[in-house]
Amino acid sequence: MAEVWSDEELLARLAVALAAAKDVPPEFVAAARAAFTMDDIDIELAQLVYDSHLHPEPQSLTRAEPACLRTLTFVSSGLTIELEVTELQLLGQLVPPQEAEVRVQERSGQDAVRTTDKVGFFTIQPIPAEPFRLHCRTPGGLNVLTTWITL
Amino acid sequence: MTDTPTVTALVVRAREGDQDAWNELVDRYAPLVWSICRRYGLARTDIDDVAQNVWLRAVGQLKALREPAALPGWLATTTKHECSRVFRARRRQEGTEQPLDFEMTPDDESKLIEQELEAAERNAVLRAAFAELSATCQQILLLRMEGVPYEEIGARLGMSIGSIGPTRARCLEKLRADPALVALMTTETSRSEQYG
Repeated sequence: MAEVWSDEELLARLAVALAAAKDVPPEFVAAARAAFTMDDIDIELAQLVYDSHLHPEPQSLTRAEPACLRTLTFVSSGLTIELEVTELQLLGQLVPPQEAEVRVQERSGQDAVRTTDKVGFFTIQPIPAEPFRLHCRTPGGLNVLTTWITL
Repeated sequence: MTDTPTVTALVVRAREGDQDAWNELVDRYAPLVWSICRRYGLARTDIDDVAQNVWLRAVGQLKALREPAALPGWLATTTKHECSRVFRARRRQEGTEQPLDFEMTPDDESKLIEQELEAAERNAVLRAAFAELSATCQQILLLRMEGVPYEEIGARLGMSIGSIGPTRARCLEKLRADPALVALMTTETSRSEQYG
């Protein structure tokens, strides 16, 4: 089992391996490393399960008022977050309805905090121009983060 | 095919909150995630979105995976799904009704993912073994890979020409002795015998 790959073969494969790693931008790796933070290990991720852009409904089923441009639904085991994009703002609703703190985290690191009303309704205005995600915490201990959203 | 002991150990450590272990996992598999995204021809901002989602979910998966060595496969599959979701969304926004170029039979698709995983795993093992070599060994091998002649290597590293050949041979021997690399070469050989 001494020479499974010839020296040339081994070096050629090594060159390919090193090149594959070199192709990856350093900031891509840095972002991936940063995804792991101890504080957040108990955060539950809410997955995008519905996007009206991906599942266009028949016209008759969409409500006419106030010009909803897009609907997104994020689901985690304990909480569903529904978002409606209108011309000027985002309308959010937590299901089941409950009060929560909603943090809007933008890719650049900018943070804004919103509080929902008693039944879990919130608005975000203006609409974030860059990718963002929502981090919801409820007094009941729910700790939910959506995946990144680009509008 | 996966270097199971290494991956398992890293996942178990990361599960307990070890950032270094997570970083190693990222270093091992970031090229895999990157290359899948590139294959879909996504814009850089979309690639970053996909990757963020994949890695964030991977953190959650650390605890959820019953078999820690399944992480690389999970990463490949999840990256592919995310890419295809974003790809379709972009197509829809542009109003293009063309079918997805990447539409393949499930069989072809799982074969492609398997190949990508195998390459990623082989590359990771090779890079890890290379990283264990001394700085001199790494330099000699790198220069040889670039096709730099012995004379110049000698001049650059301050070594006599006569010593470079033997040193290079020793470096390769050390590389070959890496346990994960030995295991990899053994699997690849038995497989080619099986098919050949």
